[in-house]
Amino acid sequence: MRLPVAISALLALAACTDRQSVMAAHGPEAGRVALLAGIVFAGAAVIMLVVMAALWVALRGSESQRAALAGETAIRIGGIAFPAITLSVLLGYGLWLMRDSLADAPPALRIEVTGEQWWWRLRYRGGDGAAFAEANEIRIPVGAEVEFELRSADVIHSFWVPSLGGKLDMIPGRTNRLRLRAERAGVYRGQCAEYCGGPHALMALEIIAMPQAEFAAWLTAGRRPAPAPAGQAERRGAELFLAAGCGGCHAIRGTAAEGAIGPDLSRVGGRRFLAAATIPAGRENLARFIAHGQDLKPGNLMPPFRLLAPAELDALAAYLVSLR
Amino acid sequence: MSLAHARAAADWLLRSWRRLGAALLALAAAGGVAIVLFAWSGLYSVAASSGHWALVELFLRFGMESSVRTHAPALTPPDLRDDSLIRLGAGHFHAGCAFCHGSPGTPVGAAALKMLPPPPALDARLSEWTDQQLFWIVRHGIKYTGMPAWPAQGRDDEVWALVAFLRRLPSLDAASYAALALGEIEPRPETARQIVSGEDRVETIEACARCHGLEAGPRSRLVPVLHGQPRQMLETALHAYRRRERDSGIMQVAAAELDDKAVRDLAAFYARLPPPAAPPPPAAPDAEAIARGAVLAAQGDPGRQIPACLNCHGGAGLPAYPRLSGQPARYLSGQLAAWRAGLNARTPGGTVMAAIARRLTGQQAADAAAYFASLPLPPAQEARR
Repeated sequence: MRLPVAISALLALAACTDRQSVMAAHGPEAGRVALLAGIVFAGAAVIMLVVMAALWVALRGSESQRAALAGETAIRIGGIAFPAITLSVLLGYGLWLMRDSLADAPPALRIEVTGEQWWWRLRYRGGDGAAFAEANEIRIPVGAEVEFELRSADVIHSFWVPSLGGKLDMIPGRTNRLRLRAERAGVYRGQCAEYCGGPHALMALEIIAMPQAEFAAWLTAGRRPAPAPAGQAERRGAELFLAAGCGGCHAIRGTAAEGAIGPDLSRVGGRRFLAAATIPAGRENLARFIAHGQDLKPGNLMPPFRLLAPAELDALAAYLVSLR
Repeated sequence: MSLAHARAAADWLLRSWRRLGAALLALAAAGGVAIVLFAWSGLYSVAASSGHWALVELFLRFGMESSVRTHAPALTPPDLRDDSLIRLGAGHFHAGCAFCHGSPGTPVGAAALKMLPPPPALDARLSEWTDQQLFWIVRHGIKYTGMPAWPAQGRDDEVWALVAFLRRLPSLDAASYAALALGEIEPRPETARQIVSGEDRVETIEACARCHGLEAGPRSRLVPVLHGQPRQMLETALHAYRRRERDSGIMQVAAAELDDKAVRDLAAFYARLPPPAAPPPPAAPDAEAIARGAVLAAQGDPGRQIPACLNCHGGAGLPAYPRLSGQPARYLSGQLAAWRAGLNARTPGGTVMAAIARRLTGQQAADAAAYFASLPLPPAQEARR
């Protein structure tokens, strides 16, 4: 009896990494959430103790104590005044805490995030008006206030990166704004937190917080055309990419591939994961996803390209991996 | 005395419902056992040579006709006088039906005549059935008669083509049948020499050319022009039909007899053919539909998540993809309709197109077909030998 309980308790420890955890706050927004949650938990614990004590008095207390507990005064204080005051104070405090979230000073960076079934479409807008597309892996500068403009292309999704902040729904026809700041460099995992059909569970994302200088270089590079294929396999892959019609749905900057239906692949080789943080990136997994994407992420929009020969798949994957 | 006994026994049985029920059950069980024992004994002869008793024959025909009448669907047939529909049906009739049912100028063969029941020569019987009843028979076949069902269930458009031809059949003589079913194929002396020497697959090419044409191209607008299509695509398609992975009753029957070499030769043959001299003009070109189709073909419809057709089906696409320019609009519409109905989705290429075709509206499918039909056919893939 005790062993299974102990084992299942140990399993819960697997969740204790700080890449995706409300308990590990790495930004001011998440810090406020954690502080408020701490206060609520502590207060609830105190109230629990008081209720237990009252229960004990009701069962074992003297006649006069029990009469006092059953009297109208106890109900007026404990049942009306206390909850009204406590909840009002909490609400006021919560609003006061949130004042920073509603700041209207211009953010250092704006990123458009559009939830689609079942991935995240990203659009970076620089100060000079130039914009470029990315997908599923959000890079931000450390210590800077970043505003996410959250939209949905189809159904309701919810954008939630627990270590950086609270969740915010992405609602069709609306733009919701969320400000986050990462206080140290690192990878923060997020998840679609509103059931959005089919492979909703496989709609995750990563925010990578980079030092300011590195981020600036990354941002500048994003406006340049994708690198030309260097090796033989890469060149063959680039030809195949166009001939197989991949460009109908996917764009690669600087090439004839300008499709806007699926994720932009201009720098897919630099990403850590594929298919909205579903499987680790890499040449083999890219080839697998092209041919058997419906097995890896059932229901996703891309038809499986089983018609390509293994050598063709490998060349395509080699080309895509070289796009950084 | 024994009569008195029997009367007493019957009296005793009838006096209680329960006893009567048990007696009937026992009788039915005994009957079942007797039937199984009879079948087991093998005394009944299944010989087709002996035929049926006249009464049994009448009864079976009565049952079959009643069943067809009851099951025939209340569908509105397409225009059965449509020349494209009749020609498509004629080509398939020659390949799939004429062996058993004969054709104008060719009576039912000796082997087929000894089937039980013998397949009817069709011209006399056809007027007894309505269009819907014929449709039902061709689509579903008839149990215990040797009449097969349509190989690709779901392709009702093909079944209607055969029904259209059957309606034309009674008015055909040998010459007009040959013109309809054999197209431009005529046995030529040098052709016969090549067949004897076995140096070329002329015979199989003729089987294709009945519908797909040679110099003149197909004469039915429901049949694709294979001239100048990529060799790899043609091979893949023929293999898919052979393995019955692509849904066409007509092509599954046509491809069933091909071996690997025949598939290679046929694909190479059609890939090298230049466009037919006079392809059939698109039926009443609709400039607006063509213009809308042109936009869809070049840009797709990102709002419906439809990529541009030309990304794959233009001149630079993989050799596994068909070139659509110049194909008859009705053929293209028919294929898109098959995909939108969930057919043709089992092959590697079909899986890709099925996902995209399902996102098209009916209007978009018609527009795309009109646009591609308005373009010129592709040139021959390689120089002709």
